[in-house]
Formats: sequence, C-alpha cells, structure tokens
Amino acid sequence: MATFTLTKIDNGYNSYKQIIELYQTHKDTFFDTIDIHLDLWFGANMAAVLGGVLDLFIDNMNTINLFIENSETKNVLMRNGFLSHYGYERVLDDRHSTIEYLKIKPTDGRFFNSYIIDEFINRSEMPEMTGALKKKIAESIYELFVNAKDHSGTKFIYTCGQVFPVKNKIEFTIADTGKGFQRVVNDALLTNFTAGQAIKWAIKDRNTTKNDITGGIGLAILHEFIKLNKGRLQIISGNGFYEFSEEGQKLHKFPYDFPGSYINVSIRTDDDSSYALREEIDSNDIF
Amino acid sequence: METIELKIYNIVGNQLCIEAEDGQKVYTLIKKGFVEGKKIILSFQNVSMITTAFLNTAIGQLYRDYTEEKIKSSLEVVNIDPDDVRRIKRVTDTAKAFYKDREGQLKKSISEILGEGDND
Repeated sequence: MATFTLTKIDNGYNSYKQIIELYQTHKDTFFDTIDIHLDLWFGANMAAVLGGVLDLFIDNMNTINLFIENSETKNVLMRNGFLSHYGYERVLDDRHSTIEYLKIKPTDGRFFNSYIIDEFINRSEMPEMTGALKKKIAESIYELFVNAKDHSGTKFIYTCGQVFPVKNKIEFTIADTGKGFQRVVNDALLTNFTAGQAIKWAIKDRNTTKNDITGGIGLAILHEFIKLNKGRLQIISGNGFYEFSEEGQKLHKFPYDFPGSYINVSIRTDDDSSYALREEIDSNDIF
Repeated sequence: METIELKIYNIVGNQLCIEAEDGQKVYTLIKKGFVEGKKIILSFQNVSMITTAFLNTAIGQLYRDYTEEKIKSSLEVVNIDPDDVRRIKRVTDTAKAFYKDREGQLKKSISEILGEGDND
C-alpha cells in the first residue's frame, strides 16, 4: 500500500509539480493500492489533470483510493462528477458552478459537441456574457479538442472546469496522456527542441507539424483570444510549463516529465470586448 | 459556368463544423464539382460554429490542388457569419503561404525558436 498527499492544488506551477511528482513516484507501480489524499484545496478544473494521471496508474492494475478532508473540495469534486469515477456517489450540482468532468475517447466528437452545448452554450446559469464572447469561448475549446484529438494519439481526453460568478471567470482544462508537444514537434520537424521550445513553436501562427494539409492556426487563435480577453493560458507538456497572461509570457521547467499535455484557460466573463466588430472582410475577397 | 450549392449543415449533419474529417467530406465534394467544371457555392446556413481544423481540410488543401485564380473564380460562400468569413480568410492566407514555400517557412520558424533560446 502506498500513500501520497497533494496539498493545496490550484493552477500554479507548484501544483502541477506536485502532480508530476505523484506520477513519477508511481508510474512504475503495479498491482498495488495507492491512497491519495487531497489536502486543503483542490481546484475543480485540475481534476482533468489528475484524472489522466490516475488512469495511467489504473492501467498498471493499481487500485486508487481518494481521500478528501476538506468538505468544500469534496463537495465540488462530487458535484462535477470527478469523484464518481473513484467510488463516490454522484451528487447534483445544486450550485450550478461546475463544468462537468468528462473523460472521452478522441473519436467521440459528437458527444463532446453535446457537452459543450450543454455546459457552455445553452446553460442559463452562466455569468452574463456577450453572445460573441460565448461563441469565442466555445470555439476555443473546440480548437483545443481537435488539437488533442489530431496530434496526441491519446486514449482519452479529459476536460473539466469551474465557473466563478463572483470573480467573473471560468477556468477550463483539457488534458491528454498522449505523446506531448515535444515528441510530436521533434518527430515531425526532426529538431531537438526542449519541451518549452516545442510549446512556443506550436503556439506561433501558421506553425504546423502536418506536411500535406495546412494547420497551425487553432492555438494561435486561442492565444490571441486570451490576450484580448485579458485571461490566462497555461500549457504543460513534458517538463515544460508555459504561461501567458497580462503579466506576459513565462516559461519554466519541471524536474520531471508530465505524461501528455494539459491546457488550462482562465477566461474573464465580464469582458465586453467587441469581438464581432473588428474590420469586416468582404466574403467575395477571401479566396 | 453551372453552379452547385453545397449545404454544409447537411453534409456535416450538424450545426457544428468542428472536426477535420467533416471538412474532408466537404473538400471531396468541392473537388468533384471542380473536376466537372462547376462553380461551387458553400452555404453555411444554420451552421453556428466552425473550427480552423474543419476549414483546413474543407478549403485550405484546395490550394495544394488548384491555383488561387481557379479557386477565386469557382468557389463562393453564402449565409455566413462575418466572424467566420475572417476565419476562412485566415485559413486561405495560411494555405497560400504554406503551399508556396513549406520548407522555407518551416526553416524560418525553427530558426526563430532557436534564436529565442530556451528561456526557462
């Protein structure tokens, strides 16, 4: 029997580092029971990151037990459906603040479409947002989904989020346990980029690993949207940690590698930027 | 030139044009029309969301097979949100540059990153 404690997990570098340490500690553990304690706080959207890692342990025939001391954290993770994957009962989200934890096969695009419609587009209890902003958010999430689906080779894609009505913000994470940015980029370009360099290369407009079909716009569009929205974008892959926010661009290294890629966006819902009012383009002049 | 209208909503079967595979279906139909010398009108009526992944396969890759002039004279979009028009323009501009000099573009992008150093 093994025990591991994750303490005060939010969206900061140290929180991801703790989850990497959990992965490193138990990635070669087989046929064991791993007790994981979530201490003090666990940010709901981070369930997508933890869920991916725990599935790798389960693939090694380990039994996972989650223990949550903080009643508020436990309540949130029960309401978003995460804990129902680990022996807890599913409860109704009576506060309407969670964006459901979803574990989905990359081929289940249609199901993902329904998820986005239910959780974002048609959801009445979302903070008040302009229609243009709502569309931008949904588009960004779709771009992330197809990016993970087309590039990562992952078995599952994990998503989760949380709505913060008072702070006027949404946190949303999409995770996969596939090849990661570094391997995908270096394999395609025959380069020797670090994980951080691979992430920076991938988010630049028009950079694509595809050889025959154009691409490389989705992540660039997301980056531009986050800049206009004054939100925050984090990309974690391999040992690279990339963050973009109003404070600028940060790149850090973790001591170990994460399995796969994790993209976390924090979006301001009180953003009234006129996304739809930029320069009009004549539809006869697009080809 | 005879025109054929392709209804994207019907081809995809959904208001959401998200996946590259759905774009591929549209691309195949456009090509069929082009081969027969038809003008293709893409109607986005009832479509609410379009990703660049969809547009890259539906439209972007046409620039691999046809000249800009041919595409300009044989393809048109109607019933489309102005924001999605911008998105198509971005995809077509990217495709023109991509098929013009893929190797050069790639080398430049690699040098740029190496020039920035590791920064971590």
